[in-house]
Amino acid sequence: MMARLPEPAGLLLDRTEPVAFRFEGKRYEGYRGDTVASALAANDVSILSRSFKYHRPRGLHSLSGLDANTLVQVGPAPNRFAEREALAPNLEVMGQNYWGTLRHDRLAVFGLLHRFFPVGFYYKAFYKPRWTWPLWAKMIRRIAGLGTVDTNAPHGYFDKQYLFCDVLVVGGGAAGLAAASEAAEAGADVILVDENAALGGRLLYGRADAGGIRAEEERARLVGAVEGSDRIAAMTETACLGRYADNWLPLVRGNRLYKLRTKALVVATGSLEQPLVFRNNDLPGVMLGSAAQRLIKLYGVKPGRRAVVATVNDEGYGAALDLLDAGVEVAAVVDLRMDVQRTAMSDTLAARRVPVHAASAPWEAVPQRKGPRLARARVARIEADGVCAPTVDTFSCDLLVVCGGHAPAAALLRQAGATFAHDSARNTTVVADLPPGVFAAGGVAGTFGLDAAMAEGRRAGWQAARATGLDAGSEPPAPDEGSQAAAAAPWPIFPHPDHKAFVDLDEDVQVHDLEDAIAEGYDHVELLKRFTTNGMGPSQGRHSSLNAVRVLSRATARSIDETGVTTVRQPIVPVTMGHLAGRSFEPVRYTAMHFRHLEAGATMMPAGLWLRPEFYGDKSRRQTLIREEAKNVRDNVGIIDVSTLGGLDVRGPDAAEFMNRMYTFAYLKQPVGRSRYVLMTDLGGVVVDDGVACRMHEDHFYVTATTSGVDNVYREMLWYNAQWRLKVDVTNVTAALAGVNIAGPNCRAVLETLCDDVDLSPEGFPYMGVREGHVAGIPTLFLRVGFVGELGYELHVPASQGEALWDALMEAGTAHGIRPFGVEAQRLLRLEKGHILIGQDTDGLTTPHEADMAWALAKKKPFHVGIRSVRMQAAKGLTRKLVGFEMPGVGVEQPKECHLVIRDGEITGRVTSVAYSPNLDKIVGLAYVAPDQSEPGTKIEIRVDGARMVNATVAKIPFFDPDGARQEL
Amino acid sequence: MAIPAEERRRSPLYRALEAHGARFEALGDYAVASDFGREAADEAEQAESLGLADLTPFPRIGFKGWNVAPWLAGAGAEMGEASNRAYPQADGTRIARLAPGEALVLAGRRGEGPLIETLDQAWSMAEADGCYRVARDETSCWLLLTGAHAPSMLAKVCAVDLRPHAFVPDAIAQTNVARLNVIVIRGDLGQVPAFDLITDLASAVYLWGALLDAMAEYDGAPVGLGAIRALLDGSEPSS
Repeated sequence: MMARLPEPAGLLLDRTEPVAFRFEGKRYEGYRGDTVASALAANDVSILSRSFKYHRPRGLHSLSGLDANTLVQVGPAPNRFAEREALAPNLEVMGQNYWGTLRHDRLAVFGLLHRFFPVGFYYKAFYKPRWTWPLWAKMIRRIAGLGTVDTNAPHGYFDKQYLFCDVLVVGGGAAGLAAASEAAEAGADVILVDENAALGGRLLYGRADAGGIRAEEERARLVGAVEGSDRIAAMTETACLGRYADNWLPLVRGNRLYKLRTKALVVATGSLEQPLVFRNNDLPGVMLGSAAQRLIKLYGVKPGRRAVVATVNDEGYGAALDLLDAGVEVAAVVDLRMDVQRTAMSDTLAARRVPVHAASAPWEAVPQRKGPRLARARVARIEADGVCAPTVDTFSCDLLVVCGGHAPAAALLRQAGATFAHDSARNTTVVADLPPGVFAAGGVAGTFGLDAAMAEGRRAGWQAARATGLDAGSEPPAPDEGSQAAAAAPWPIFPHPDHKAFVDLDEDVQVHDLEDAIAEGYDHVELLKRFTTNGMGPSQGRHSSLNAVRVLSRATARSIDETGVTTVRQPIVPVTMGHLAGRSFEPVRYTAMHFRHLEAGATMMPAGLWLRPEFYGDKSRRQTLIREEAKNVRDNVGIIDVSTLGGLDVRGPDAAEFMNRMYTFAYLKQPVGRSRYVLMTDLGGVVVDDGVACRMHEDHFYVTATTSGVDNVYREMLWYNAQWRLKVDVTNVTAALAGVNIAGPNCRAVLETLCDDVDLSPEGFPYMGVREGHVAGIPTLFLRVGFVGELGYELHVPASQGEALWDALMEAGTAHGIRPFGVEAQRLLRLEKGHILIGQDTDGLTTPHEADMAWALAKKKPFHVGIRSVRMQAAKGLTRKLVGFEMPGVGVEQPKECHLVIRDGEITGRVTSVAYSPNLDKIVGLAYVAPDQSEPGTKIEIRVDGARMVNATVAKIPFFDPDGARQEL
Repeated sequence: MAIPAEERRRSPLYRALEAHGARFEALGDYAVASDFGREAADEAEQAESLGLADLTPFPRIGFKGWNVAPWLAGAGAEMGEASNRAYPQADGTRIARLAPGEALVLAGRRGEGPLIETLDQAWSMAEADGCYRVARDETSCWLLLTGAHAPSMLAKVCAVDLRPHAFVPDAIAQTNVARLNVIVIRGDLGQVPAFDLITDLASAVYLWGALLDAMAEYDGAPVGLGAIRALLDGSEPSS
């Protein structure tokens, strides 16, 4: 019977704030400061879950927030540790892994059928036939379920933060607190992290002296020193996920993942109390001594009515005294040691008339006749390691407290490269060697006893501060070897002929499972782990690996050190995907006119990181609007935002030479004030970008690049410039310039109303000319280009004035029928002209000859990037060619991009661009075809959706205005 | 009182500032946020805790090339040998040396920039000779993050150690902030920590939103030129 204790028990509770919650649909009440597990314990709820394999009822066991015993579903989140889940109002908590109810789980029948589920039965039973694997997987997943993922769960807000310090101390117990203070006193900036709600570690709940007052006194002193230091930042409820190279450690607190870098690391993570192994050691009511003490001290919960305490060392005596103080009757202390020394605690216990059974062990926990909870403990004398006498004493009890010694919480140290050794004299593990910049103190180093832990903490803090380069003063004294805790009993495992002596409660692995696996040849610690799954559950072997190693060590007649341990990888505690993902940062770039597009009703589409208008107006009229926009360019005047085009300034005495090397055309003799097409190939001769080069000065080219390609072009230019060492500077000015393309027969008239310093006449400003002047008073670079096949000007202005330019053009163009057009209309217009889009009409293998762009290759110059490959490809001949094709405007199914060109069942190419042209009233497109299909007039077949074939005819491009008369108007 | 949309030059953030209740004043061809409708003392207090100001309208100019240092020296601007350091000038401007061959000249904290104007007028392509002007006032937006919480808040979006003792005044980090390439310059306002963030102009709206999101935890908010002036006035000895 568990119940709430009066104050002062319950250090973490705020009893002024009751908190209501539901578990398995029933309402309960706890306090602020409770965890779900402690609140349920206070309400005498003993079953929290069902075990993984046999569906045995499970309750509180370690209260360390590590066991599968307390995995619950909290709202939409499965697999939450009830021992870690802070109680919050209206939490909906459910048990996991049962069929029926938590108390009456139909799948508990597996416990009766255990003979049919030997160790490794997965591998043996579900091996053949292979096609059944998915069926078994599905069934097993349902039976061995671990909660339900709610795919409609709302997104949580997770984020990340970087942290830096001189010294990181992990673990806020006596050693860690002492280390942090010492390092801070030496001048180090210290971060102290602890996974618990309050600092103090074992001082919060353990008993340091017979009187039961020293722990709290020391805690208050140590915590006060830490909190009083302005060099120490203490982070509680913070889990350290692991240690990576160069002392990089991820931490989790709340919904945040911290990425911490420290110069020196002190690991003071303490140790984990271990269970004893005997029959039914998993019954609700059997729990570790530290769990019972946590319940009493931290959460004010009386863990039972009548208890038996079994221990391998002195700690059980402290636990027994704490139980007595909490009003629990202690029926007996069962000490596994053969030779028990008198201590102040044992004397106090004797004075309180608690019998001690030395050289004895718990042989069996017996459940209630009609219930899952502990009813009796059967105790026997130890005859040899793991062997008990046949006669037993039976104690009626509802609580069996076990203190099985300690295993270091050594994951961080092992990840750092520390080595450990088994101290056979004390039956514990100690640090053998530490890497540079990493220090250890307290239980993790095998140092027990309060004074020794604090002394070792001080020394580790001093060493860490000194390792950062600080003058840390004189070295604190080393811990007194003689003060370290007394030796523990060597063998805590007592297999029972009727089995159910569990080594790993997470995975339902029993002693005989391990022995059977070893007998089958799985006699290496890693093999044994994988075959039996011992240590593969949520607690990752923290309460099972040591005993498994003991079993293996004995079975193979090897020492503990020779047997070794399994690898402990990061993360060492469970971490959610939300923490790993964090807050998403997805940069997006807006042009200067972005909000004008939105105001005009544009549907925006991504173009690299940019957003561009796809079209303007009602989405339901998309196709119509695109055609109207295109037609308005042909008939009147249109304006499109081309700010996303890349812009690069190439300047210096060698600028022309640099251009000549980077691009395929010739630029040495390009006149100032003229623009020229640029085509870039990579070393393999593949087309990677294109644009226009404007010669602004003998030593200055302003070069445009594609929206998505400019960053790569810029990178390539810097790369080659670093090698060639030409007198050239390259600057990416993409964002600095806003650009619009104003095109259509009326565009000159619009510009003439706003520009008075550039001669816009055909003679004064011919096609491919470049001018500098002003539009509406805004300094403007004019480029006469014809991407859409109409009289047109690209106007490049300072980005800060892009919106003003747009406003001025729209206002001036009203009288001339101006209308903005989007990317889709532009694509249609350029397709009518047969202009290719790099990346759409080319792919990662397209060569200039394939793209029918041999005209853009300078024939006489000795070099450009990729020239050797381009010439080899030309000599080798084509395997495909990009051509135009056309189809009737009505009565045929229009192909889509990437539909295949097929001849005699063989693929000869694919469609790259296709659209219905309202100007031409036919479908026009570009496609790769076999070279012998490239002559205009050739009939080709294209496979469209549904594997239907449609006919098309190869056509000469441009489809529209083949003489270019309109753009050169 | 100026209206951004009526000015020829416009910060990409003017709508975002308006949405926060900004009131503007004229600065050159721009409108710059002077305050956000709060008392000057309140806004200065905000800036001392955690504030974000848009300094995009402030003058700035860049130079790149192998002769940047001698050219600047010839034009009266002095900077040291070390890169990734800002060098304060007598007129209140600062020269951020980004590389041996790259410098960024930033206006003073009140928007003043006589050196910038001098350099701009002195430079011409015809006589460039290895020192090339970069229109940093057009390539980049300029945000100023102020206040005691600024280093902690920046740690949520930037991997560089920007704690006050690790990232000293006039230090520069060319790094990544919220997945953007950003130049971070420590430039305190008197005793108040402050960081200039200079990044891609086209990404200004994105970065503004990302920073405000990260600032919410510390009750951070936009501040105007008035708050900056108040902090400067408070830190300067009275004559």
